[in-house]
Amino acid sequence: MIRTRDLCKRFGELTVLRNIDLEVHPGEVVCIIGPSGSGKSTLLRCLNGLETATGGEVTIDGDSLNTTEAKINQLRARLGMVFQHFNLFPHLSVLENITLAPRNVQGKTRAEAAAIAERLLEKVGLSDKAHVRPNLLSGGQKQRVAIARALAMRPEAMLFDEPTSALDPELVGEVLAVMEDLVKEGMTMVVVTHEMGFARRVGSRVLFMDEGRILEEGTPEQLFDHPAHPRTRAFLGNVLRMS
Amino acid sequence: MMDSPYIEVLPFLFRGLGWTLLITFTGLLFGFGLGTAAGLARLSRKGFCRGLATVYVEVIRGTPILAQLLFVYFGLSELLSMNIHKLAAAILAIAVNSGAYIAEIVRGAVQSIDVGQREAGRSLGLSRSQTMRYVIWPQALRRMIPPLGNQFIISLKDTSLFSVIAVGEILYQARQYYQSTFAPFEALTMACLLYLLITIPSSVYLRRVEQRLEGK
Repeated sequence: MIRTRDLCKRFGELTVLRNIDLEVHPGEVVCIIGPSGSGKSTLLRCLNGLETATGGEVTIDGDSLNTTEAKINQLRARLGMVFQHFNLFPHLSVLENITLAPRNVQGKTRAEAAAIAERLLEKVGLSDKAHVRPNLLSGGQKQRVAIARALAMRPEAMLFDEPTSALDPELVGEVLAVMEDLVKEGMTMVVVTHEMGFARRVGSRVLFMDEGRILEEGTPEQLFDHPAHPRTRAFLGNVLRMS
Repeated sequence: MMDSPYIEVLPFLFRGLGWTLLITFTGLLFGFGLGTAAGLARLSRKGFCRGLATVYVEVIRGTPILAQLLFVYFGLSELLSMNIHKLAAAILAIAVNSGAYIAEIVRGAVQSIDVGQREAGRSLGLSRSQTMRYVIWPQALRRMIPPLGNQFIISLKDTSLFSVIAVGEILYQARQYYQSTFAPFEALTMACLLYLLITIPSSVYLRRVEQRLEGK
């Protein structure tokens, strides 16, 4: 349902993505791993048009992102995104963070949006925090709210940009648990992550990126147990030695 | 005691206070609208809007407010061949002048909001303008309170220049008084105390607001 063809991205002189061909099918969980600076986050941000491709094309269910601004806004609403630094709106309560887009993009009434938000807060285990400001939450709680906020738009797929990298280690688990629930429900997901355990457990496919290219991809077993490319082996060797 | 110039000047000064506050508040109200438009235009993707706003800001910040006032009062009157009321000229001068400074305040505040906020808004499907309205602007507005308060104090003091076109604000009234009584020391002392009576509590209050915002 998400597809890139020959996707390229340059920032001035710097080429960040080189000819990326990627297909994400409904229900798939695609995990993207690789060293920092390899273009993982940029690729993810190109998928919902936060970055504009300098070459090639991104399509969502066949609809191209090379289109008018209004169309891109509509396409974006079909993909949820979760950021490394949460990016909750600090001037709004948790409930208002979640209801903002459903009310203003989908035209839901206050009551309809609140009902959706309350259901999602229950799902992420934060029903008691609805009327709290984000600055009073822990990192793990913030990220769970951010997930609920994205889910409130009933997205067809979810993009996660290193969702646990900014968290204290003891808070990683609660966020991964919420994400694993989503996998069980069959949500289509693209996850940029350093959590190799998570990628192995729930990934239907793992991509290894380096220097703007997808160097290798396969099932978690293939990629983690029998990496073909020497750079993949070196990266996994470094990561696994650390943990 | 009752015929002390310190006391005698007070009715004059209080009459002036009304004009000073009227010009300051009305001028700043329009100045805020103008400044918001110009500040957002400076952030616009359209080169024409950006250029226009930049010219406005640089011209106003690079010329004295007294020249701007005379320009509005005499220059514009001549150009439009109509009499501009001196009160209207004073309010317009404050509006146009403060608008340029407020434009920079607006621009700085909007730019200071973390780019992740805009991205989060856009990723949810909000349009550019919705993201500005619901996500960026409310946060930027909060950060604008201290510098806007500062601009209030500056503009309030700037109104004293309008005595040159005989707008009956505080300083004009003080001059009216001492020209007939020859007590400029007493009159000007009281006039300055009256300015301080407004500006000092304002800046104390501002500092408190600032601290509260930082504490968050």
